[in-house]
Amino acid sequence: MGSYILRRLGYMAVTLLIVTILGYIIIELPPGSYVESEVERLRAQGGNLTQGQIDALYRRYGLDKPEYVRFWLWISAFVRGDFGQAFAYNLPVSQIIFDRLGLTLAFSLSSLVFSWVVAIAAGVYSATHRYTLPDYVIAVLQFIGLAVPNFLLALVLMVFAQNVFHMQVAGLFSSQYVDAPWSIAKVLDLLNHLWIPIIVIGASNTAWLSRVMRANLLDVLNMQYVQTARAKGLTENVVVWKHAFRNAIHPLIMVLGSSLPGIISGETIVAIVLNLPTTGPIYFNALIQKDMYLAGAFLVFLAIALLIGNLGADILLAWVDPRIRYE
Amino acid sequence: MENAVTSAPQLPSAVDEPVSEVGQLSQWTLIRMRFARNRLAMIGMVGLIFMYALVFLGPFVAPNEYTYQNQDYIFGGPSEFTFTGSDGSFGLFMYGTTSVLDSKAFKFIVTKDENMKLPVQLFVKGDPYTLLGVINTDVHLFGVDAASKQRVYLMGADSLGRDMFARTLIGGQISMTIGLVGVAISIVLGSVLGTTSGYFMGLADDVIQRIIEVISSFPTIPLWAALAAALPPISESFTALDRYFLITVVLSFVGWTGLARQLRAKVTAYRTSDFCQAAVAAGSTDRRIIFTHMLPNAASHIIVSAALSIPGMILGETALSFLGLGILPPMVSWGALLRDSQQVSVIIQYPWLLIPGVAVVIAVMLFSFLGDGLRDAVDPYSI
Amino acid sequence: MSDKPGPKAPEQDIVLRVNDLHTYFYTDLGISRALNGVSFDIPVGKVMGVVGESGCGKSVTALSIMRLLPKSSKIIKGDITYFRRPQHNGSAGASDQIKQKSENGQQGFWIDENAGKVQEIRLNDLDPMGPEMRHIRGAELAMIFQEPMTSLNPVYTIGDQISETIMLHQRVNKAEGLRRAIDILEKVGMSNPKLIVGNYPHQLSGGMRQRAMIAMGLSCHPAVLFADEPTTALDVTTEAQILDLMRDLQAQFGTTIVFITHNLGVVAQMCDSVSVMYLGRIIEQTSVDEIFYNPKHPYTSALLNSIPHIGSRSKERLQPIRGVVPDPYSKIVGCPFHPRCNAFMPGKCDKAMPAQTVISPGHNVRCFLYSDEVEE
Repeated sequence: MGSYILRRLGYMAVTLLIVTILGYIIIELPPGSYVESEVERLRAQGGNLTQGQIDALYRRYGLDKPEYVRFWLWISAFVRGDFGQAFAYNLPVSQIIFDRLGLTLAFSLSSLVFSWVVAIAAGVYSATHRYTLPDYVIAVLQFIGLAVPNFLLALVLMVFAQNVFHMQVAGLFSSQYVDAPWSIAKVLDLLNHLWIPIIVIGASNTAWLSRVMRANLLDVLNMQYVQTARAKGLTENVVVWKHAFRNAIHPLIMVLGSSLPGIISGETIVAIVLNLPTTGPIYFNALIQKDMYLAGAFLVFLAIALLIGNLGADILLAWVDPRIRYE
Repeated sequence: MENAVTSAPQLPSAVDEPVSEVGQLSQWTLIRMRFARNRLAMIGMVGLIFMYALVFLGPFVAPNEYTYQNQDYIFGGPSEFTFTGSDGSFGLFMYGTTSVLDSKAFKFIVTKDENMKLPVQLFVKGDPYTLLGVINTDVHLFGVDAASKQRVYLMGADSLGRDMFARTLIGGQISMTIGLVGVAISIVLGSVLGTTSGYFMGLADDVIQRIIEVISSFPTIPLWAALAAALPPISESFTALDRYFLITVVLSFVGWTGLARQLRAKVTAYRTSDFCQAAVAAGSTDRRIIFTHMLPNAASHIIVSAALSIPGMILGETALSFLGLGILPPMVSWGALLRDSQQVSVIIQYPWLLIPGVAVVIAVMLFSFLGDGLRDAVDPYSI
Repeated sequence: MSDKPGPKAPEQDIVLRVNDLHTYFYTDLGISRALNGVSFDIPVGKVMGVVGESGCGKSVTALSIMRLLPKSSKIIKGDITYFRRPQHNGSAGASDQIKQKSENGQQGFWIDENAGKVQEIRLNDLDPMGPEMRHIRGAELAMIFQEPMTSLNPVYTIGDQISETIMLHQRVNKAEGLRRAIDILEKVGMSNPKLIVGNYPHQLSGGMRQRAMIAMGLSCHPAVLFADEPTTALDVTTEAQILDLMRDLQAQFGTTIVFITHNLGVVAQMCDSVSVMYLGRIIEQTSVDEIFYNPKHPYTSALLNSIPHIGSRSKERLQPIRGVVPDPYSKIVGCPFHPRCNAFMPGKCDKAMPAQTVISPGHNVRCFLYSDEVEE
């Protein structure tokens, strides 16, 4: 098990390096350097820059040096925690990133937990009650869940909440609580604002996972060892949950790694519609405004979060499936 | 030897039984039969054919030209219809509207004129347009007499008084093809790289696998967005059409990885299979083995995985355009149209602005029906 | 103890009686009549072989008795009676434990006031997944399956899987369960049982897995063990070892074994009596000697002619049975074997179903060659 984790960590280090290179390329991709846009911005603010000042800016960002040196400067600064400057905010990128990244991960993880719990329940139920009415209802919901873009679902749920419950669900707090001190009412208000993003972000993942769960469990229930378990005299619950489920969950954990990108993607875009103070709105704004240090750092951090998630999924898989452990 | 065989007593022959047809059908015929039996898959196929016809004949089907701005119909709702005319005659009639300035809110309000009933006619003359890039005409499938200065708005109008029905149809031309073009690029990239990786193994395999791993360690939409943000702004040298093609390239930048992975697994399995070993033993070249033995076997899987990846691409384009990073005006796509409905207050007032979203849901669902049906037809035992 | 007079064997000698069992499968293609009136008695402490071609209903018979049929199938008609003996009464197989249970107040249905007497249980009246059937399954009636590769759950250790049965039926803790698992693994000839209990199925060879399955089946000293082609998937050497083992264990434990196979060689080696099945019916039933030296039914003879004999004259050709087994969806009028039978009598065999007739003590057959008796 230990050597398995070490090997995975080794792979991860290589991938991480390439991820940062790709992140850097993306920062460099947009036509026109960020110094040009910075100069534009300073001029627009009425500043009158001399050529000397502009050259100083170029030197400060190392734009007079070759590409690989600049990558080295960027990556070494990145490792030290200096991710560059967010021009639009005139703040260091690190200051903007951390509280927002935390919230993004919190939302993503809650949605992940939500979608796993719901998907497993729905998947097991529909597999053990095949061709019954609830099974068909779940199938219809699955198709809808996969077909509705999450931002559209967010919009519809918001309209629904406003029209039916007269609730303003955008943001994390209702307006009267934003600056209020913490109180029970404020916590309740926060909870009122959390369910929509969690459902919306998790919806398509839930739909997909529950389909995978149903199909896997149906496969496993046809296995000989399930019959063996029944022949032992175990109750159907023990047969399903101890013997079949443990084997059916295995492909689900395998796709855990690949469902994370979808969840984090979903979070970033839903956050715009729901006006959540997470990475999404800042990231896409940064892209539109070509604030590339900010965007690049966000992207690399999201990728790192995913890599860690994948590592976790691999370890979980090895723990669940002895065949991988002894590989 | 031959003698021994012929002189052997005849074994009692098997009882005469009708030879089952199933054993003699080709793989593709079997796939077609299984597909045709799948009701959802047929709904998917027929529905998609209908939708493609609708969007490509859009300028003709819609009563208005999609860029026509009607100052008297800003945020006007869907037209209302009745079956009895003012003179009591029977037929389909549309209520006329008038635009009144609301002096309090200081905006124009479109109100229904109960007394104005206009007969809806077929093949009426209206805005000129070019159908399918070649036919110049001004005949629309239906509408009301242009002389009345009234227009039919099946799905209401947007902030500039443009027909949402026409815009949704035209937007469909982009949204429903971007996935196809993206998938076509993905197939080419994925087949080449996946086959190379699985067939030649070694360094090429390592490098390609690492690239796939890196690309899939980014969250998709942020990565697409970052790549789309790198596209130059629309200008004379970089047209909206160029942007459209580059957006499909951006979408397939992520899309090819899944196909390459699947194809690699297939090709690795085929490599050790008897029919490929036999081909190697017979002295076939790599090229011949790949093109006559492996790819035809993998073809059905390529098609299935392509069909299953179209919904993701449609949703991706919608999200990107919704964020303002995909299709940009003057081109319209469903995502770009939804950009007008980012505010809940707007949707509550003008719910018809969400109609392009309904179109996305329908198209994606039909594509998933089709993809699932193809998958089940090709391999009834897979998940 | 027997209170039912009749031609059947007295009940103290039988452990399981199946009478006129009909099991149908409901599929998209129609109703598949897997069993069409199967009747037999299984005598205590003997090995009964069930032989027949694929699809004749051998496995379905065992699954019907175990009440492990899939949801698409149903027992339409017939009785399955299990005669529970005191030593099997309660799953522990040890009287002190039964006493202990009653003292603990965990008195279950299996504590019979008439302890010491044979108790009749109609298995077909029980709920397949209900508590009574579950207490019988695994403890009193056990089953091992054809594919040792897939019969063990890949994610649990051998020890976990064997001790699970022991813990369930004998109410012991995990440590004791594992100790007993090691014991039984030793009895089935595993060379290093202490190591094996910690192994996962994929670490064992096919033969070892089948030994583990046998250990699991015998772990609660069942009254009857159904072995559904337990050696089919194994190579010949391993097969011989496993058959030897089963023979030894049978002698040691006195377990009744129902041995399902398509291999007549295995029957000759293993069984005391044989039932030959064809299309969901038993067509001949007798001792193993009678089957080989005095087969009566044309199908039995044909089966015997289709296997090679060592020492037979080498020029002799093997005789395949002509035709194929008709699909079980069709309903054949008359004897189901008549389209393939060499002794087919037109106007007779294709008109009615011959009844199961006793032609000599312990030998019955369904064929118009021996009796005109027709099944009603």
